[in-house]
Amino acid sequence: MEKIIDATFETIQVGDLQTMRADVCDRLPFGVVGLDSHGITKVYNETEARMAGLDPTTVLGSSFFDAVAQCMNNFMVAQRFEDEPELDAIIPFVLTLRMRPTPVRLRLLASRSAPLRFILVAR
Amino acid sequence: MTKGANEEERLLGFLYAAPVGLVEINASGTIGMINPYAMKHLMPLVGTRDSGNLFAILENCAPELRNLFDGFAAERGTVCDGHRIMVDLRRDQGGAEPKVLACTLVKLDADRAIAGLSDITVQVAQERRLKQAEAWFSSLINDINDYAVGSITSDGVVDGVNASWTKQTGYTRDALIGQTLSDIFPFSAADGNGGMVEQLRLAARDGWHLDEMWYGRKDGSRYWCQRLIAARLGSDGELSGYTLVLRDVTRQTYDTDDLRRLLTQDHLTGAANRARFQQLFEREHRAWLEHGAPLSLIMLDIDHFKHVNDTYGHATGDLVLSCFAKTIAKAIRPTDVLARLGGEEFAVLMPGTGLAEAAELAERLRGLVANMRFETQQGNLAITVSLGCATALPGGDLLRSADAALYTAKRNGRDRVHTMDRAVAAA
Repeated sequence: MEKIIDATFETIQVGDLQTMRADVCDRLPFGVVGLDSHGITKVYNETEARMAGLDPTTVLGSSFFDAVAQCMNNFMVAQRFEDEPELDAIIPFVLTLRMRPTPVRLRLLASRSAPLRFILVAR
Repeated sequence: MTKGANEEERLLGFLYAAPVGLVEINASGTIGMINPYAMKHLMPLVGTRDSGNLFAILENCAPELRNLFDGFAAERGTVCDGHRIMVDLRRDQGGAEPKVLACTLVKLDADRAIAGLSDITVQVAQERRLKQAEAWFSSLINDINDYAVGSITSDGVVDGVNASWTKQTGYTRDALIGQTLSDIFPFSAADGNGGMVEQLRLAARDGWHLDEMWYGRKDGSRYWCQRLIAARLGSDGELSGYTLVLRDVTRQTYDTDDLRRLLTQDHLTGAANRARFQQLFEREHRAWLEHGAPLSLIMLDIDHFKHVNDTYGHATGDLVLSCFAKTIAKAIRPTDVLARLGGEEFAVLMPGTGLAEAAELAERLRGLVANMRFETQQGNLAITVSLGCATALPGGDLLRSADAALYTAKRNGRDRVHTMDRAVAAA
Protein backbone atom coordinates (compact mmCIF):
# COMPACT_ATOMS: atom_id res chain seq x y z
CA MET A 1 0.00 0.00 0.00
CA GLU A 2 2.88 2.35 0.81
CA LYS A 3 4.20 1.91 -2.70
CA ILE A 4 0.95 3.11 -4.25
CA ILE A 5 0.72 6.24 -2.17
CA ASP A 6 4.25 7.05 -3.27
CA ALA A 7 3.23 6.77 -6.91
CA THR A 8 3.20 10.16 -8.63
CA PHE A 9 1.06 11.83 -11.27
CA GLU A 10 3.54 10.66 -13.89
CA THR A 11 4.17 7.12 -12.68
CA ILE A 12 0.93 5.72 -11.29
CA GLN A 13 -0.52 2.89 -13.39
CA VAL A 14 -4.07 2.17 -14.44
CA GLY A 15 -3.94 -1.14 -12.50
CA ASP A 16 -2.98 0.69 -9.28
CA LEU A 17 -5.91 3.07 -9.65
CA GLN A 18 -8.32 0.28 -10.47
CA THR A 19 -7.70 -1.52 -7.18
CA MET A 20 -7.01 1.48 -4.95
CA ARG A 21 -9.12 1.98 -1.81
CA ALA A 22 -11.25 5.13 -1.93
CA ASP A 23 -9.68 6.71 1.14
CA VAL A 24 -6.21 6.16 -0.33
CA CYS A 25 -7.28 7.64 -3.61
CA ASP A 26 -8.73 10.68 -1.81
CA ARG A 27 -5.32 11.43 -0.30
CA LEU A 28 -3.46 11.52 -3.63
CA PRO A 29 -2.12 15.03 -4.31
CA PHE A 30 -3.69 15.12 -7.78
CA GLY A 31 -7.26 14.83 -9.05
CA VAL A 32 -8.47 11.37 -10.06
CA VAL A 33 -11.55 10.75 -12.19
CA GLY A 34 -12.54 7.23 -13.22
CA LEU A 35 -15.12 6.61 -15.93
CA ASP A 36 -16.81 3.48 -17.18
CA SER A 37 -17.17 2.77 -20.88
CA HIS A 38 -20.36 4.88 -21.03
CA GLY A 39 -18.60 7.91 -19.53
CA ILE A 40 -20.36 7.53 -16.17
CA THR A 41 -18.29 8.82 -13.25
CA LYS A 42 -17.30 5.91 -10.99
CA VAL A 43 -14.31 7.45 -9.20
CA TYR A 44 -14.06 11.12 -8.18
CA ASN A 45 -11.49 11.70 -5.52
CA GLU A 46 -11.49 14.33 -2.80
CA THR A 47 -8.61 16.31 -4.38
CA GLU A 48 -10.55 16.75 -7.61
CA ALA A 49 -13.78 17.55 -5.76
CA ARG A 50 -12.02 20.28 -3.78
CA MET A 51 -10.51 21.86 -6.91
CA ALA A 52 -13.84 21.81 -8.73
CA GLY A 53 -15.86 22.89 -5.70
CA LEU A 54 -18.27 19.98 -6.05
CA ASP A 55 -19.61 17.34 -3.70
CA PRO A 56 -18.30 13.95 -4.93
CA THR A 57 -21.66 12.31 -4.21
CA THR A 58 -23.39 14.53 -6.79
CA VAL A 59 -20.73 13.82 -9.40
CA LEU A 60 -20.57 10.05 -8.93
CA GLY A 61 -23.05 8.38 -11.26
CA SER A 62 -23.31 11.42 -13.57
CA SER A 63 -22.18 11.57 -17.17
CA PHE A 64 -18.78 13.21 -16.69
CA PHE A 65 -18.34 14.84 -20.12
CA ASP A 66 -21.88 16.28 -20.01
CA ALA A 67 -22.39 17.30 -16.40
CA VAL A 68 -18.95 18.31 -15.14
CA ALA A 69 -16.32 18.49 -17.86
CA GLN A 70 -17.84 19.58 -21.14
CA CYS A 71 -14.54 21.30 -21.85
CA MET A 72 -13.01 17.85 -22.34
CA ASN A 73 -15.87 16.70 -24.56
CA ASN A 74 -13.96 17.18 -27.81
CA PHE A 75 -11.29 15.50 -29.88
CA MET A 76 -8.60 16.47 -27.39
CA VAL A 77 -9.85 14.24 -24.57
CA ALA A 78 -13.19 12.41 -24.89
CA GLN A 79 -12.60 11.37 -28.49
CA ARG A 80 -9.18 9.96 -27.63
CA PHE A 81 -10.72 7.49 -25.18
CA GLU A 82 -13.02 6.36 -27.99
CA ASP A 83 -10.19 6.05 -30.51
CA GLU A 84 -7.36 4.65 -28.37
CA PRO A 85 -8.12 1.59 -26.20
CA GLU A 86 -4.52 1.68 -24.95
CA LEU A 87 -3.85 5.23 -23.85
CA ASP A 88 -1.29 6.88 -21.59
CA ALA A 89 -0.72 10.50 -22.50
CA ILE A 90 0.01 13.72 -20.63
CA ILE A 91 -1.40 16.88 -22.23
CA PRO A 92 -1.43 20.52 -21.19
CA PHE A 93 -5.00 21.75 -20.79
CA VAL A 94 -7.03 24.59 -19.35
CA LEU A 95 -9.87 23.64 -17.01
CA THR A 96 -12.59 25.93 -15.73
CA LEU A 97 -12.42 25.00 -12.07
CA ARG A 98 -14.99 27.13 -10.23
CA MET A 99 -15.29 28.98 -13.58
CA ARG A 100 -11.70 30.23 -13.37
CA PRO A 101 -9.48 29.36 -16.34
CA THR A 102 -6.89 27.10 -14.73
CA PRO A 103 -3.91 25.71 -16.65
CA VAL A 104 -3.38 22.07 -15.69
CA ARG A 105 -1.74 18.90 -16.92
CA LEU A 106 -4.02 16.00 -17.71
CA ARG A 107 -2.92 12.39 -17.84
CA LEU A 108 -5.25 10.17 -19.84
CA LEU A 109 -5.09 6.49 -18.96
CA ALA A 110 -6.91 3.54 -20.51
CA SER A 111 -6.12 -0.09 -20.96
CA ARG A 112 -7.98 -2.99 -22.56
CA SER A 113 -7.42 -4.99 -19.40
CA ALA A 114 -9.05 -2.41 -17.08
CA PRO A 115 -12.80 -1.67 -16.99
CA LEU A 116 -12.35 2.00 -15.99
CA ARG A 117 -10.65 4.84 -17.84
CA PHE A 118 -8.87 7.47 -15.76
CA ILE A 119 -8.21 11.18 -16.06
CA LEU A 120 -5.61 12.56 -13.67
CA VAL A 121 -5.46 16.30 -13.06
CA ALA A 122 -2.35 18.13 -11.81
CA ARG A 123 -2.39 21.87 -11.25
CA MET B 1 -22.77 19.13 3.86
CA THR B 2 -25.45 16.90 5.27
CA LYS B 3 -27.71 16.14 2.37
CA GLY B 4 -26.82 16.70 -1.31
CA ALA B 5 -25.03 19.80 -2.39
CA ASN B 6 -25.16 23.23 -0.79
CA GLU B 7 -26.19 26.34 -2.71
CA GLU B 8 -22.74 27.23 -4.01
CA GLU B 9 -22.16 23.70 -5.21
CA ARG B 10 -25.52 23.67 -6.94
CA LEU B 11 -24.65 26.90 -8.68
CA LEU B 12 -21.28 25.51 -9.77
CA GLY B 13 -22.94 22.30 -10.96
CA PHE B 14 -25.43 24.38 -12.92
CA LEU B 15 -22.67 26.32 -14.68
CA TYR B 16 -20.55 23.22 -15.28
CA ALA B 17 -23.45 21.52 -17.04
CA ALA B 18 -24.94 24.52 -18.92
CA PRO B 19 -25.08 23.64 -22.64
CA VAL B 20 -24.14 27.20 -23.60
CA GLY B 21 -20.83 29.01 -23.23
CA LEU B 22 -20.29 31.94 -20.88
CA VAL B 23 -17.11 34.02 -20.65
CA GLU B 24 -16.45 37.12 -18.59
CA ILE B 25 -13.63 39.36 -19.85
CA ASN B 26 -12.10 42.75 -19.14
CA ALA B 27 -11.49 45.46 -21.77
CA SER B 28 -8.31 43.80 -23.04
CA GLY B 29 -9.97 40.40 -23.37
CA THR B 30 -8.45 38.78 -20.29
CA ILE B 31 -10.77 36.02 -19.10
CA GLY B 32 -12.06 36.34 -15.55
CA MET B 33 -14.60 33.54 -15.56
CA ILE B 34 -15.42 30.88 -18.10
CA ASN B 35 -17.58 27.78 -18.05
CA PRO B 36 -16.71 24.35 -19.48
CA TYR B 37 -18.92 24.62 -22.58
CA ALA B 38 -17.09 27.78 -23.67
CA MET B 39 -13.74 26.16 -22.96
CA LYS B 40 -14.74 23.08 -24.94
CA HIS B 41 -15.00 25.23 -28.07
CA LEU B 42 -12.11 27.59 -27.33
CA MET B 43 -9.51 25.11 -26.11
CA PRO B 44 -8.86 23.58 -29.56
CA LEU B 45 -8.08 27.09 -30.88
CA VAL B 46 -5.50 27.99 -28.26
CA GLY B 47 -2.38 26.44 -29.82
CA THR B 48 0.52 28.66 -28.82
CA ARG B 49 -1.70 31.64 -28.01
CA ASP B 50 -2.52 33.01 -24.57
CA SER B 51 -5.27 30.75 -23.23
CA GLY B 52 -6.24 33.44 -20.71
CA ASN B 53 -7.36 35.99 -23.32
CA LEU B 54 -10.53 35.59 -25.38
CA PHE B 55 -9.41 37.87 -28.22
CA ALA B 56 -6.04 36.12 -28.42
CA ILE B 57 -7.71 32.70 -28.63
CA LEU B 58 -10.00 33.93 -31.44
CA GLU B 59 -7.26 35.86 -33.25
CA ASN B 60 -7.25 33.52 -36.23
CA CYS B 61 -10.93 32.64 -36.51
CA ALA B 62 -12.46 35.97 -35.63
CA PRO B 63 -9.92 38.81 -35.52
CA GLU B 64 -12.87 41.16 -36.07
CA LEU B 65 -14.21 40.49 -32.56
CA ARG B 66 -11.49 42.62 -30.98
CA ASN B 67 -12.15 45.33 -33.59
CA LEU B 68 -15.88 45.26 -32.88
CA PHE B 69 -15.26 45.51 -29.15
CA ASP B 70 -12.64 48.28 -29.41
CA GLY B 71 -14.85 50.17 -31.83
CA PHE B 72 -17.81 50.06 -29.44
CA ALA B 73 -17.75 53.56 -27.94
CA ALA B 74 -20.67 53.39 -25.47
CA GLU B 75 -19.85 52.42 -21.93
CA ARG B 76 -22.36 49.58 -21.93
CA GLY B 77 -24.53 47.73 -24.39
CA THR B 78 -24.58 44.86 -26.86
CA VAL B 79 -21.42 44.82 -28.98
CA CYS B 80 -22.62 42.00 -31.20
CA ASP B 81 -25.55 39.61 -31.12
CA GLY B 82 -25.15 36.14 -32.56
CA HIS B 83 -22.03 37.15 -34.48
CA ARG B 84 -20.93 34.14 -36.51
CA ILE B 85 -17.49 32.69 -36.15
CA MET B 86 -16.30 30.07 -38.62
CA VAL B 87 -13.97 27.58 -36.97
CA ASP B 88 -11.97 25.37 -39.27
CA LEU B 89 -9.09 23.52 -37.71
CA ARG B 90 -8.34 21.18 -40.53
CA ARG B 91 -5.07 22.91 -41.32
CA ASP B 92 -3.74 22.57 -37.79
CA GLN B 93 -5.46 19.57 -36.29
CA GLY B 94 -6.39 16.34 -37.93
CA GLY B 95 -9.97 15.21 -37.79
CA ALA B 96 -11.78 18.20 -36.30
CA GLU B 97 -14.88 19.07 -38.30
CA PRO B 98 -15.43 22.71 -39.24
CA LYS B 99 -18.11 24.40 -37.19
CA VAL B 100 -19.88 27.71 -36.76
CA LEU B 101 -20.14 29.41 -33.38
CA ALA B 102 -22.50 32.25 -32.54
CA CYS B 103 -21.06 34.88 -30.21
CA THR B 104 -23.02 37.51 -28.31
CA LEU B 105 -20.89 40.08 -26.54
CA VAL B 106 -22.35 42.51 -24.01
CA LYS B 107 -20.33 45.33 -22.49
CA LEU B 108 -21.28 45.81 -18.83
CA ASP B 109 -19.00 48.71 -17.99
CA ALA B 110 -15.71 50.23 -19.20
CA ASP B 111 -13.68 47.21 -18.10
CA ARG B 112 -16.12 44.31 -18.00
CA ALA B 113 -17.99 42.37 -20.64
CA ILE B 114 -19.69 39.01 -20.86
CA ALA B 115 -19.79 36.77 -23.92
CA GLY B 116 -22.21 33.97 -24.75
CA LEU B 117 -21.12 31.24 -27.14
CA SER B 118 -23.11 28.51 -28.80
CA ASP B 119 -22.48 25.97 -31.53
CA ILE B 120 -24.86 26.68 -34.44
CA THR B 121 -23.21 24.49 -37.08
CA VAL B 122 -26.34 22.44 -37.69
CA GLN B 123 -28.62 25.48 -37.89
CA VAL B 124 -26.32 27.21 -40.38
CA ALA B 125 -26.30 24.18 -42.65
CA GLN B 126 -30.11 23.95 -42.48
CA GLU B 127 -30.45 27.66 -43.05
CA ARG B 128 -28.25 27.51 -46.11
CA ARG B 129 -30.34 24.76 -47.62
CA LEU B 130 -33.56 26.58 -46.82
CA LYS B 131 -32.25 29.79 -48.37
CA GLN B 132 -31.28 27.93 -51.50
CA ALA B 133 -34.60 26.17 -51.70
CA GLU B 134 -36.43 29.44 -51.15
CA ALA B 135 -34.50 31.21 -53.89
CA TRP B 136 -35.14 28.34 -56.22
CA PHE B 137 -38.85 27.91 -55.60
CA SER B 138 -39.61 31.61 -55.56
CA SER B 139 -37.88 31.88 -58.90
CA LEU B 140 -40.07 29.07 -60.19
CA ILE B 141 -43.15 31.08 -59.33
CA ASN B 142 -41.93 34.52 -60.33
CA ASP B 143 -40.42 33.80 -63.65
CA ILE B 144 -41.06 30.81 -65.77
CA ASN B 145 -39.02 31.43 -68.87
CA ASP B 146 -35.89 29.79 -69.99
CA TYR B 147 -35.16 26.58 -68.16
CA ALA B 148 -32.56 24.28 -69.56
CA VAL B 149 -33.06 20.64 -68.66
CA GLY B 150 -30.56 17.85 -69.09
CA SER B 151 -30.35 14.18 -68.26
CA ILE B 152 -27.19 12.84 -66.64
CA THR B 153 -26.15 9.22 -66.17
CA SER B 154 -25.21 7.94 -62.73
CA ASP B 155 -21.55 8.32 -63.83
CA GLY B 156 -22.02 12.04 -64.43
CA VAL B 157 -22.14 11.89 -68.26
CA VAL B 158 -24.68 13.98 -70.21
CA ASP B 159 -27.06 11.79 -72.21
CA GLY B 160 -29.69 14.33 -73.22
CA VAL B 161 -30.49 18.06 -73.16
CA ASN B 162 -33.51 20.08 -74.27
CA ALA B 163 -33.59 22.91 -76.81
CA SER B 164 -33.53 25.61 -74.11
CA TRP B 165 -30.07 24.45 -73.16
CA THR B 166 -28.67 25.62 -76.47
CA LYS B 167 -30.66 28.84 -76.26
CA GLN B 168 -29.30 29.57 -72.76
CA THR B 169 -25.65 28.52 -73.13
CA GLY B 170 -24.96 28.56 -76.87
CA TYR B 171 -23.70 24.97 -76.79
CA THR B 172 -25.41 22.54 -79.17
CA ARG B 173 -26.84 19.21 -78.19
CA ASP B 174 -24.18 17.33 -80.17
CA ALA B 175 -21.40 19.17 -78.40
CA LEU B 176 -22.82 18.21 -74.99
CA ILE B 177 -23.84 14.56 -75.26
CA GLY B 178 -21.13 12.31 -73.89
CA GLN B 179 -19.38 15.08 -71.98
CA THR B 180 -19.01 14.78 -68.21
CA LEU B 181 -20.41 17.47 -65.92
CA SER B 182 -16.86 18.28 -64.87
CA ASP B 183 -16.10 19.11 -68.53
CA ILE B 184 -19.11 21.39 -68.79
CA PHE B 185 -18.69 23.09 -65.42
CA PRO B 186 -14.98 23.40 -64.77
CA PHE B 187 -13.60 24.31 -61.35
CA SER B 188 -13.36 28.00 -60.65
CA ALA B 189 -11.77 29.69 -57.68
CA ALA B 190 -14.52 32.30 -57.59
CA ASP B 191 -17.39 29.83 -57.03
CA GLY B 192 -18.87 28.80 -53.74
CA ASN B 193 -19.00 25.04 -53.68
CA GLY B 194 -16.90 22.03 -54.54
CA GLY B 195 -16.46 20.37 -57.90
CA MET B 196 -19.15 18.52 -59.86
CA VAL B 197 -18.13 15.11 -58.56
CA GLU B 198 -18.72 16.34 -55.03
CA GLN B 199 -22.01 18.01 -55.98
CA LEU B 200 -23.28 14.82 -57.61
CA ARG B 201 -22.35 12.93 -54.48
CA LEU B 202 -24.33 15.41 -52.37
CA ALA B 203 -27.31 15.15 -54.74
CA ALA B 204 -27.22 11.35 -54.51
CA ARG B 205 -27.05 11.58 -50.72
CA ASP B 206 -29.69 14.28 -50.15
CA GLY B 207 -31.93 13.82 -53.19
CA TRP B 208 -30.98 17.16 -54.71
CA HIS B 209 -28.30 19.82 -54.72
CA LEU B 210 -28.57 23.46 -55.63
CA ASP B 211 -25.75 25.83 -56.49
CA GLU B 212 -25.36 29.16 -58.22
CA MET B 213 -22.37 30.64 -59.99
CA TRP B 214 -21.21 32.63 -62.97
CA TYR B 215 -21.34 30.50 -66.09
CA GLY B 216 -19.69 31.27 -69.42
CA ARG B 217 -21.72 30.96 -72.62
CA LYS B 218 -20.14 29.67 -75.82
CA ASP B 219 -19.87 33.23 -77.17
CA GLY B 220 -17.72 34.28 -74.19
CA SER B 221 -20.42 36.24 -72.33
CA ARG B 222 -21.42 35.04 -68.88
CA TYR B 223 -24.57 34.91 -66.77
CA TRP B 224 -25.52 34.14 -63.16
CA CYS B 225 -26.66 30.55 -63.32
CA GLN B 226 -28.72 28.57 -60.82
CA ARG B 227 -28.16 24.87 -61.15
CA LEU B 228 -30.35 22.18 -59.61
CA ILE B 229 -29.21 18.58 -59.65
CA ALA B 230 -31.93 16.09 -58.70
CA ALA B 231 -31.17 12.41 -58.19
CA ARG B 232 -33.34 9.94 -60.15
CA LEU B 233 -34.09 6.64 -58.50
CA GLY B 234 -35.13 3.50 -60.34
CA SER B 235 -38.03 1.32 -59.24
CA ASP B 236 -35.55 -0.71 -57.17
CA GLY B 237 -34.59 2.42 -55.22
CA GLU B 238 -31.10 2.47 -56.75
CA LEU B 239 -29.66 5.64 -58.26
CA SER B 240 -30.37 5.58 -62.01
CA GLY B 241 -29.07 9.03 -62.94
CA TYR B 242 -29.67 12.74 -62.43
CA THR B 243 -31.86 15.47 -63.85
CA LEU B 244 -30.12 18.79 -64.20
CA VAL B 245 -31.93 22.11 -64.49
CA LEU B 246 -30.19 25.38 -65.36
CA ARG B 247 -31.73 28.76 -64.96
CA ASP B 248 -30.49 32.12 -66.21
CA VAL B 249 -30.89 34.52 -63.32
CA THR B 250 -30.39 38.02 -64.60
CA ARG B 251 -31.46 39.89 -61.49
CA GLN B 252 -28.72 40.19 -58.87
CA THR B 253 -30.83 40.68 -55.77
CA TYR B 254 -29.89 37.65 -53.81
CA ASP B 255 -29.90 37.20 -50.08
CA THR B 256 -27.72 34.16 -50.57
CA ASP B 257 -25.08 36.51 -51.91
CA ASP B 258 -25.15 38.53 -48.69
CA LEU B 259 -25.04 35.41 -46.58
CA ARG B 260 -22.09 34.12 -48.54
CA ARG B 261 -20.24 37.41 -48.09
CA LEU B 262 -20.95 37.32 -44.38
CA LEU B 263 -19.49 33.87 -44.00
CA THR B 264 -16.51 34.25 -46.31
CA GLN B 265 -15.19 37.79 -45.88
CA ASP B 266 -13.02 39.32 -43.23
CA HIS B 267 -15.08 42.01 -41.55
CA LEU B 268 -12.34 44.68 -41.37
CA THR B 269 -10.40 44.33 -44.60
CA GLY B 270 -12.87 42.78 -47.03
CA ALA B 271 -10.30 40.09 -47.86
CA ALA B 272 -11.40 36.45 -47.84
CA ASN B 273 -11.41 35.10 -44.29
CA ARG B 274 -9.38 32.17 -43.09
CA ALA B 275 -12.15 29.61 -43.44
CA ARG B 276 -12.77 30.73 -47.01
CA PHE B 277 -9.05 30.61 -47.76
CA GLN B 278 -8.83 27.05 -46.51
CA GLN B 279 -11.77 26.05 -48.65
CA LEU B 280 -10.28 27.66 -51.77
CA PHE B 281 -6.82 26.38 -51.00
CA GLU B 282 -8.04 22.81 -50.70
CA ARG B 283 -9.95 23.10 -53.94
CA GLU B 284 -7.06 24.63 -55.89
CA HIS B 285 -4.65 22.15 -54.39
CA ARG B 286 -6.90 19.29 -55.49
CA ALA B 287 -7.11 20.81 -58.98
CA TRP B 288 -3.32 21.04 -59.05
CA LEU B 289 -3.05 17.36 -58.10
CA GLU B 290 -5.57 16.38 -60.77
CA HIS B 291 -4.59 18.64 -63.64
CA GLY B 292 -1.04 19.72 -62.80
CA ALA B 293 -1.50 23.42 -63.65
CA PRO B 294 0.95 25.37 -61.44
CA LEU B 295 -0.24 26.78 -58.13
CA SER B 296 1.69 29.34 -56.11
CA LEU B 297 1.20 31.01 -52.77
CA ILE B 298 2.53 34.19 -51.21
CA MET B 299 2.41 34.59 -47.42
CA LEU B 300 2.55 38.19 -46.21
CA ASP B 301 3.11 39.51 -42.71
CA ILE B 302 3.24 43.22 -41.88
CA ASP B 303 6.51 43.97 -40.07
CA HIS B 304 6.43 45.13 -36.46
CA PHE B 305 2.67 45.47 -36.52
CA LYS B 306 2.41 45.10 -32.76
CA HIS B 307 4.53 48.26 -32.53
CA VAL B 308 2.00 50.08 -34.75
CA ASN B 309 -0.87 49.04 -32.46
CA ASP B 310 1.03 49.85 -29.28
CA THR B 311 2.34 53.22 -30.45
CA TYR B 312 -0.48 54.56 -32.61
CA GLY B 313 -3.46 52.72 -31.14
CA HIS B 314 -5.80 50.00 -32.46
CA ALA B 315 -7.78 52.46 -34.59
CA THR B 316 -4.66 53.31 -36.60
CA GLY B 317 -3.76 49.61 -36.66
CA ASP B 318 -7.15 48.86 -38.21
CA LEU B 319 -6.70 51.63 -40.78
CA VAL B 320 -3.28 50.23 -41.71
CA LEU B 321 -4.75 46.74 -42.11
CA SER B 322 -7.60 47.84 -44.34
CA CYS B 323 -5.41 50.15 -46.51
CA PHE B 324 -2.83 47.39 -46.77
CA ALA B 325 -5.49 44.93 -47.94
CA LYS B 326 -6.88 47.44 -50.46
CA THR B 327 -3.42 48.08 -51.90
CA ILE B 328 -2.74 44.38 -52.30
CA ALA B 329 -6.22 43.64 -53.68
CA LYS B 330 -5.78 46.30 -56.38
CA ALA B 331 -2.40 44.96 -57.44
CA ILE B 332 -3.28 41.27 -57.86
CA ARG B 333 -5.14 39.68 -60.77
CA PRO B 334 -8.85 38.80 -60.61
CA THR B 335 -7.99 35.10 -60.50
CA ASP B 336 -5.79 35.53 -57.44
CA VAL B 337 -7.30 35.31 -53.98
CA LEU B 338 -6.32 37.62 -51.14
CA ALA B 339 -7.13 36.30 -47.67
CA ARG B 340 -6.56 37.50 -44.14
CA LEU B 341 -5.36 34.51 -42.14
CA GLY B 342 -5.40 36.30 -38.81
CA GLY B 343 -3.89 39.35 -37.13
CA GLU B 344 -1.52 40.97 -39.62
CA GLU B 345 -0.96 37.79 -41.64
CA PHE B 346 -2.30 37.60 -45.18
CA ALA B 347 -1.98 35.23 -48.13
CA VAL B 348 -2.31 35.55 -51.89
CA LEU B 349 -3.25 32.29 -53.58
CA MET B 350 -2.32 32.23 -57.26
CA PRO B 351 -3.88 29.47 -59.39
CA GLY B 352 -2.20 28.82 -62.73
CA THR B 353 0.93 30.70 -61.71
CA GLY B 354 4.53 29.51 -61.48
CA LEU B 355 7.11 30.45 -58.87
CA ALA B 356 8.98 33.07 -60.92
CA GLU B 357 5.81 34.99 -61.72
CA ALA B 358 4.68 34.81 -58.08
CA ALA B 359 8.06 36.09 -56.86
CA GLU B 360 7.81 38.98 -59.32
CA LEU B 361 4.38 39.94 -58.01
CA ALA B 362 5.60 39.59 -54.42
CA GLU B 363 8.43 42.03 -55.07
CA ARG B 364 5.97 44.48 -56.63
CA LEU B 365 3.67 44.18 -53.59
CA ARG B 366 6.61 44.78 -51.27
CA GLY B 367 7.43 48.03 -53.11
CA LEU B 368 3.80 49.20 -53.06
CA VAL B 369 3.53 48.63 -49.31
CA ALA B 370 6.85 50.36 -48.59
CA ASN B 371 5.50 53.45 -50.36
CA MET B 372 2.31 53.62 -48.26
CA ARG B 373 2.12 56.56 -45.82
CA PHE B 374 -0.36 57.19 -43.02
CA GLU B 375 -0.85 60.53 -41.33
CA THR B 376 -1.29 60.09 -37.60
CA GLN B 377 -1.25 62.38 -34.59
CA GLN B 378 2.24 61.11 -33.82
CA GLY B 379 3.48 62.01 -37.31
CA ASN B 380 3.82 60.10 -40.55
CA LEU B 381 3.71 56.34 -40.36
CA ALA B 382 5.28 54.02 -42.92
CA ILE B 383 5.08 50.24 -42.89
CA THR B 384 6.92 47.36 -44.53
CA VAL B 385 5.94 43.80 -45.22
CA SER B 386 7.79 40.48 -45.36
CA LEU B 387 6.76 37.99 -48.02
CA GLY B 388 7.33 34.28 -48.50
CA CYS B 389 6.78 32.72 -51.94
CA ALA B 390 6.26 29.07 -52.74
CA THR B 391 4.82 26.89 -55.46
CA ALA B 392 3.19 23.46 -55.27
CA LEU B 393 5.65 20.62 -55.90
CA PRO B 394 5.14 16.85 -55.82
CA GLY B 395 6.10 15.63 -52.35
CA GLY B 396 6.11 19.19 -51.02
CA ASP B 397 3.81 21.00 -48.63
CA LEU B 398 2.83 24.31 -50.20
CA LEU B 399 1.54 25.95 -47.02
CA ARG B 400 4.55 24.92 -45.03
CA SER B 401 6.99 26.00 -47.77
CA ALA B 402 5.37 29.45 -48.00
CA ASP B 403 5.38 29.77 -44.20
CA ALA B 404 9.04 28.77 -44.08
CA ALA B 405 9.92 31.28 -46.83
CA LEU B 406 8.10 34.02 -44.90
CA TYR B 407 10.00 33.09 -41.78
CA THR B 408 13.29 33.34 -43.68
CA ALA B 409 12.31 36.76 -45.04
CA LYS B 410 11.63 37.88 -41.46
CA ARG B 411 14.87 36.44 -40.16
CA ASN B 412 16.91 38.03 -42.96
CA GLY B 413 15.82 41.49 -41.86
CA ARG B 414 12.17 41.99 -43.00
CA ASP B 415 10.91 44.26 -45.82
CA ARG B 416 11.91 41.60 -48.33
CA VAL B 417 10.73 38.66 -50.39
CA HIS B 418 12.10 35.20 -49.85
CA THR B 419 11.39 32.53 -52.44
CA MET B 420 11.47 28.87 -51.50
CA ASP B 421 14.32 26.68 -52.58
CA ARG B 422 12.81 24.14 -55.00
CA ALA B 423 15.31 21.42 -54.14
CA VAL B 424 14.66 21.69 -50.41
CA ALA B 425 10.87 21.93 -50.73
CA ALA B 426 10.55 18.83 -52.88
CA ALA B 427 12.87 16.75 -50.71
